[in-house]
Amino acid sequence: MNSAEGPLLEARDLVKHFETGRGKARQRVRAVDGVSFSVQRGETFGVVGESGCGKTTVARLLMLLEEADSGSITFKGESVNDFDRERRQSYRRQVQIVFQNPDDSLHPRHTVFQSVSEPWAIHRDVLPRREWQERANELLNLVGLSDKHAGSYPFQLSGGQKQRVSIARALALEPDVVVLDECVSALDVSIQAQIVNLLLGIQDRLGLSMIFISHDLSVVRNIADRVAVMYLGKILEAGGTSDIFGQPSHPYTKALLSAIPLADPTRSRPDRILLAGDPPSPIDPPSGCRFRTRCRQADELCAREEPQLIARTGGDRRSACHYATPEDVLRVDGSS
Amino acid sequence: MSIARIDDPLLAIRDLRVSYKTGGRIVNAVNGIDLDLHRTETLAIVGESGSGKSVTARAIMGMINDVNAVVSGSIRFRGRELRGLRASELKSIRGRKIALVSQEVFGSLNPVMTVGNQIAEMFRAHDGASRREGRRRALELMERLAIPSAQERARDYPHQFSGGMSQRILIAMAIALGPEILIADEPTTALDVTVQAQIMELLAELQEERGMALILITHDAGVVAEAADRIAVMYAGSIMEIGSTEDVYMRTAHPYMKGLLASMPDLGPSAAGLEPIPGTPPDPANLPPGCAFAPRCPLTSAVCPEVPPVLEIVEGGHATACHHSDEVAAL
Repeated sequence: MNSAEGPLLEARDLVKHFETGRGKARQRVRAVDGVSFSVQRGETFGVVGESGCGKTTVARLLMLLEEADSGSITFKGESVNDFDRERRQSYRRQVQIVFQNPDDSLHPRHTVFQSVSEPWAIHRDVLPRREWQERANELLNLVGLSDKHAGSYPFQLSGGQKQRVSIARALALEPDVVVLDECVSALDVSIQAQIVNLLLGIQDRLGLSMIFISHDLSVVRNIADRVAVMYLGKILEAGGTSDIFGQPSHPYTKALLSAIPLADPTRSRPDRILLAGDPPSPIDPPSGCRFRTRCRQADELCAREEPQLIARTGGDRRSACHYATPEDVLRVDGSS
Repeated sequence: MSIARIDDPLLAIRDLRVSYKTGGRIVNAVNGIDLDLHRTETLAIVGESGSGKSVTARAIMGMINDVNAVVSGSIRFRGRELRGLRASELKSIRGRKIALVSQEVFGSLNPVMTVGNQIAEMFRAHDGASRREGRRRALELMERLAIPSAQERARDYPHQFSGGMSQRILIAMAIALGPEILIADEPTTALDVTVQAQIMELLAELQEERGMALILITHDAGVVAEAADRIAVMYAGSIMEIGSTEDVYMRTAHPYMKGLLASMPDLGPSAAGLEPIPGTPPDPANLPPGCAFAPRCPLTSAVCPEVPPVLEIVEGGHATACHHSDEVAAL
């Protein structure tokens, strides 16, 4: 059953559209429009993109919180689509999620112990009741909290501490995969760094796979092994983190990277690529390449033919651009 | 107002303190800060949540009117004390000479009025412009702020605008009356990074064109490095370090700023790993008597939790509030 060779988790051609409005105003939002990727055992897969790109819908699809219109999710070589109720329950145990805001996911009147032990109350056969306290304390220690926090309520904890509790709870069922959806975005930088290091340490110890979803490229740069860049429901570029950040090949990835301000006043970016306007609406995406309306290089081929996400420039990097060229856009020392 | 000398600061803040009484506790949000803002410069106030940076902005705007708040100290604009001015006197300065763009991109606009009318209203209410004149000037501003098809969009309502476009409208309203100081409180925090780059570029252009001074309030040390001439670093209601952007980043003299920079994720080719600052910021209702950063600081000695450090000049306009400032470079 465990195929050690293939990917742990694989998404193929996932599509999820939402209907909004009624009657004549009815519209179809193409939130996720054909997304494929795979996650290996023990790796961190980053998904980056701006608001509305569909990254959170991808997370919800993986968690079976939404049903895909089409496409498949394969876990340990088996298609999740074919799972019966019981197998879905067991999948949910092995794939856990941490959301952005711990205030939304921790019950305000539950102690830390209650929150962390909740998964054992739901999945009753995992851990006998008499071991809950001890195991909860172990988990709290793992996330850098102490036993004495077990009796605390969320309002007595800082934002960073609450997010540690959410992580402890996500680990309670010893999952194979943890999906982290903007899990450090609400935190101050100094605390964010604590949580990123915590996640890296936990992954090292437990050999987890992580799917790290974020709008913040710099954080993803520091945590992910491989990255997918999303835009309007599609992956535009995917590959190893150092390839994508060092030599992005898709014009959108280049623009994203060049938009990030650097915390170094001696460096400036003479070649900053300023994108005009906002992304188009996912209700009515452009023909051909979805990025073409904001792309400097777009021509009539881009309007006519949608570029597929395929290997174009060697290595295992895939790029959905007819004119993909790896280029170092972070060359910043004024030497243009 | 012509008594002010040309080299006097445009805005001079002395010993500003703001505290709130909540549930029998006193929360000290701002603990006695001094700041000067000069003509046409960009001063950034950098700090994490709870550092007091937004409260400082609201105090400058005279917008702290909570009955449980106590404000003290001096805020002088062109030599004229703003603290204690009557509402009617403040009206000639607030919004007109000193304007604010806040982080509340959604919610700062009137949802049932077209954006064109909202901008025009600025000219009609404050400059006595006619309806026609107001509309003309509103349109001019929308065009300057690069809002596509301004003529049509002026008739749209706020909910029809994206975050980036809404922020442009708010900036248009803030600069409508030609303020000398624009305070931008986390102007891009709610926006995507590509839109942030557009807005920061636009702010820089407008500032140059109109000769405004800009107070940029942000948690983002990256945005600051690109935009600011000078930086004040705030922590737990106090200024920890202040100086030119280059001084503060390249010759950092406070362990908090040093830690903040080390904890920032870098985009460079070799991600060297993050060095977080241990612990959490202090409870503003229960600050230590000495340095507020002492419990998290690698340089803490016996004196730090007891004696509050004062801002002392390192060199030129670069000052730091640290008992161990000469050891910071080696961190």
